[in-house]
Amino acid sequence: MIGAIVRSLDTLLGRGEAAATVPPLDGALRPNRKLDEARRLSLPGVDCLAVVRGRLFASAGNAVFRLEEEQSWRLATEYRAEVACIAAVGDGLAVALANGDIVIDGGRFHRFESRVARGTACITAMAASDEALYVANGSATNSAADWQRDLLERNASGSVWRIDLNNGTGVRIADGLAWPAGLAIDASRVVCSEAWKHRLIRIDMSGKASPEVLLADLPGYPGRLSPGSSSWWLAVFAPRNQLVEFVLREPTYRKRMMAEVEKPFWVAPKLRAGRSFYEPLQGGGVKHLGILKPWAPTMSAGLCVRLDVGFQPRLSLHSRADGKSHGVTSVAEYNGHVFAAARGDDVVAVVSLDELGDNQ
Amino acid sequence: MIPVLELRNGTKEYRGVPAVKDVTFTLYRGEVHALLGENGAGKSTLTKMLAGVIEPTAGEIWIEGKKTELKSPSDALIRGIAMVYQETSLVPSLTVAQNLYLTDKKWFHRLRGIYIAGQQFLQSLNFHVDPTALVSSLGAGQKQMVEIARAVHHNAKIIIFDEPTATLTPEEKRQFFSLIERLRARGVSIIFISHALEEALQISDRITVMRDGRHVVTDYTSAFDREKIVRAMVGRSLSNELYGSHKDRKIRPAGEKVLSVQNLSMQNVVRNTSFSLFEGQITGVFGLIGSGRTEAAKIVAGVLKRDFFHGGEIRLKGRSVRYRVPRSAVRDGIIYVTEDRKVEGFFETMTIAENIHLGALAGGKTQFFFVNMKEMRMIAEKWIGTLNIRAINGDAKVIELSGGNQQKVVIAKALVQRPKLIIFDEPTRGVDVGAIAEIHHLINRLADEGIAIMMISSYLPEVLQLSDRILVCRQGRIVEEFEGHKVDEETIMYAAVH
Repeated sequence: MIGAIVRSLDTLLGRGEAAATVPPLDGALRPNRKLDEARRLSLPGVDCLAVVRGRLFASAGNAVFRLEEEQSWRLATEYRAEVACIAAVGDGLAVALANGDIVIDGGRFHRFESRVARGTACITAMAASDEALYVANGSATNSAADWQRDLLERNASGSVWRIDLNNGTGVRIADGLAWPAGLAIDASRVVCSEAWKHRLIRIDMSGKASPEVLLADLPGYPGRLSPGSSSWWLAVFAPRNQLVEFVLREPTYRKRMMAEVEKPFWVAPKLRAGRSFYEPLQGGGVKHLGILKPWAPTMSAGLCVRLDVGFQPRLSLHSRADGKSHGVTSVAEYNGHVFAAARGDDVVAVVSLDELGDNQ
Repeated sequence: MIPVLELRNGTKEYRGVPAVKDVTFTLYRGEVHALLGENGAGKSTLTKMLAGVIEPTAGEIWIEGKKTELKSPSDALIRGIAMVYQETSLVPSLTVAQNLYLTDKKWFHRLRGIYIAGQQFLQSLNFHVDPTALVSSLGAGQKQMVEIARAVHHNAKIIIFDEPTATLTPEEKRQFFSLIERLRARGVSIIFISHALEEALQISDRITVMRDGRHVVTDYTSAFDREKIVRAMVGRSLSNELYGSHKDRKIRPAGEKVLSVQNLSMQNVVRNTSFSLFEGQITGVFGLIGSGRTEAAKIVAGVLKRDFFHGGEIRLKGRSVRYRVPRSAVRDGIIYVTEDRKVEGFFETMTIAENIHLGALAGGKTQFFFVNMKEMRMIAEKWIGTLNIRAINGDAKVIELSGGNQQKVVIAKALVQRPKLIIFDEPTRGVDVGAIAEIHHLINRLADEGIAIMMISSYLPEVLQLSDRILVCRQGRIVEEFEGHKVDEETIMYAAVH
């Protein structure tokens, strides 16, 4: 009863859970234009990256491409359905399809085929250990392509599964997650990015304890995780903004919007920041050193973050609101470079690791 | 040429301890004479002797070649000596005009008459102050203007300014300097005490430096530069120590995020501002006066309240907090060290020990329910030693201390609460160079120990020298963030005004 009164008060006063606020992009997340200034490789529909057998692979549409001489993409394999995500399994490449099937090409588990479970057709990320493949299922009710709807419905029906690669059996190790979008295996423990709660959590493998929060209150929606040299990379696929945060606290409005308005016009995070970068500035333009700038705390529309071994941010690469590498869905470290798949602009941005150093 | 004012072998002792010893000082007609020295060097004591506020223990005062005894400030005023104090001596419940004409020898004043006269007089000085406004409603800069106007109004031949520019904005400072020029042209002699060495070099004709109550050097301004003044003031070179090249500094890496301020709003002063503070880092905040930096810090510390509706959010280590009073913030380890120490920092008539102990009480760090005198003295002794507070003992009253030592008491009061986050607001305002170096060392040490530091300062070299990261505030918002060693003064200033 008291909780309900407090919630009503919070909603009225815009505080606590009902505060439509967004954390700033500062400190290690301080904006820059590294992704905009980077070399860019075009690949329409690019979504997920993985390094296998010393080669970089990228998924786009219903195919997987291989990077040739760091210059161009060559078709490696085509599949019967859209590729949801890819991951390295030893020397093999695990490919999850949008229909829920998982196949492995090459390596010890070549031609492995499996399906996590009935109704799990929203695979967002995978990560492998020696004998197991961990799979994140974003939502029990929506497909991966319907991620905006899942957010606006404020679902928390995602789950993480462990598939034994020897016998193909799947066990659910966590559920009730708000769109698990990335997985990493850290010393035999599973770390998961929970997009709608803007945080990274470490899952208790026994399923008894509640997850440990490693990093919370991110200024964007965290996506896939990938290993780097003594660090981790986190793709943040869309920034948070106050307008969306506000709409997320208005259930009736959201319901009507989803029922009556076409999807491209929803007030929801997007992989591409509008047709003009002035669009998100309607809340008030800010001048930067005398020039009207696409500045606001959340105006990095493309963002990937290097995390330290404790999963704390160390530095970040940005594409600003007026940039051309928006909607970073996956990051991979390969051959002394960072490759960021910017799905919003159908490109892979390439930044040299030497440029980054330890700090920005 | 006969000096217009001369102190010969002046000495002033308090309880046998000399504050000024055997000092000879001369001032000529139409001269601007800068009086420099560390806090506690004896500048204020010297000028107070010259203004009749205190009587010298030994020595003679000569005015225009005649030996004189000054028994009181009004005695000095009759002889044409007026003093403009650092802490304004205006009556806050009276209007500006009433204060201007307060000491006029008329039984009755017609209010309308003095308002018109006051308006004309203030305009003639190019001071934009409403003569009908209550002094209590004025800002520090405007109060200073009224104080100056009052001295000019009394047709003083000698005006003593004690730290006149400390509270003035850059524009007000320009006006003040032009006023000094006009006074000098009229033959008025000026004694000018300041900690801003550049100002002294800019406007004075001669400079006198004091140290430990003694005269060190007097010479024409052209014979000095910043380095020479500092060396004379502290007996060693501090310039590099204080404001050396910030680009060679090693920047501390950010620790865990301690505080996240998100879309904070308070009327039109703080507007949708967001920033984070990290463990083990000094975050410098620069902005012009009125940019909302102090207000944002005060909201964080519970001194001010954010907007009631949609006023934003403050997260301390991930937990949403909203402080209605500073006490809760103190309990959570957030301490705000005020920019206005005289009003908000300490109880001036209480002793050092009592003030520091009050900090311990506020932080709930004392062991006993009742005030334990032994514990109080123990805490005071520890902090007097740690921060090198120069006082005879903990029983000295704070009012008797110099500005730098007062500031150390305020800092001790904060540190005794074992904070996780300290907000220093203008930590070295009105503090001498020696104490500045000590305070800078202290702030660096605290950051090295892992405490999150937010340091608000209007002095760019200080911001550059201390900060690991620099936030620039403009019109109630944080508009830019820089890394401490990759930015210069021009860029920060540009960001602050554009």
